[in-house]
Amino acid sequence: MTEVSEPRYQERARHALARVEHFAGLPAHVQAAVAGSAMPRRFAAGQVIYLEGEPAAALYVLEAGWVKAVRLSAEGREQMLLVAGPGEVFGDVAVFAAAPYPGTVVALEPVTAWAIERSAALELAARYPELALVMIRRLGQRVLYFVDLVEDLSLRSVDARLAHTLLGRAEGCGGRLVVPRRGWATFDEMASRLGTVRDVLSRALHTLEAEGLLRVERGAIVILDPAGLAARGQRLQPPNRKWDADERGCTRTNTEENGLLIR
Amino acid sequence: MSWEGSELTPHMAAQPGDERLRAAILAALTADPQTAACALRVGVLNGIAHLGGAAATAEVWAAAGRIAAAVPGVRGVVNRIEAPGAPCPARAVNLDLPAISEGENRS
Repeated sequence: MTEVSEPRYQERARHALARVEHFAGLPAHVQAAVAGSAMPRRFAAGQVIYLEGEPAAALYVLEAGWVKAVRLSAEGREQMLLVAGPGEVFGDVAVFAAAPYPGTVVALEPVTAWAIERSAALELAARYPELALVMIRRLGQRVLYFVDLVEDLSLRSVDARLAHTLLGRAEGCGGRLVVPRRGWATFDEMASRLGTVRDVLSRALHTLEAEGLLRVERGAIVILDPAGLAARGQRLQPPNRKWDADERGCTRTNTEENGLLIR
Repeated sequence: MSWEGSELTPHMAAQPGDERLRAAILAALTADPQTAACALRVGVLNGIAHLGGAAATAEVWAAAGRIAAAVPGVRGVVNRIEAPGAPCPARAVNLDLPAISEGENRS
């Protein structure tokens, strides 16, 4: 972790914070107070920002780059909690809950972030009710996100989860609907996001490809049948269906090698 | 208004066992000559130790993992310490751990 050598970083902090949803609507003096409490931080790709179980020292606002938050289950299985990009806030749940960080956050690419120490964040929230409301809205949105994630993991099959996730990440490109490849979008990352292991994910991808719903190309996944993929994404687990042991990742692997998700 | 010691979320506080393990691991890393000089970070959740920070060599990286694993009560170690030749800290990690039994008292 290194300090950013930027002399006018308070203005930069305000600019970065303005990208956070609802923050730009705050009075100027509140924005200035928050920017004045923010400390610049840089992380290299792959670097740990904080570890699960560490005391929550600060919350972070992402200015540039992407991070992932993961959590290891009590059985040792990694679950991706979220992937966050510029304008996103992370670490706030633990800071306001007075709890250790619930997940590990690592930089997926070079990251510039603004750290607001816990004591400063609590003081700002206590001093400025408008800011506290913005934080409550953000925390509420996070709760809704995790409700969706719980539904996804508990009710949908891996095929359906994959379909749902790919549609959520698809972008229009040259008249096609594609999921562009990021350097860190590996099978292991996606498997962690979907709560499964890479072998099961690979089979699910081939199944959707064989059904003509998508095509895996070098550098992107092309969505061929968005409506069909959407219908597949909504498919719930049959009632009383027993979890496939493989799907739950009982065949665990130490995933040191990272095969690219998109070939 | 003070938020310190808030009772809003008592269930979210760190498990006493995890806090104790974290302190024990930090003490063990500080006491060992191989790792004492490193700026290592430790988090513990559900008895699983998560290591971060930086080490000068892969040997120190491995030593830190062994030291943490040797602390009584540690169920597993996720070693995300940066070191030359060490696995990428951002890699996906899965450990083969037995489930915590319902009656297990980790506090």
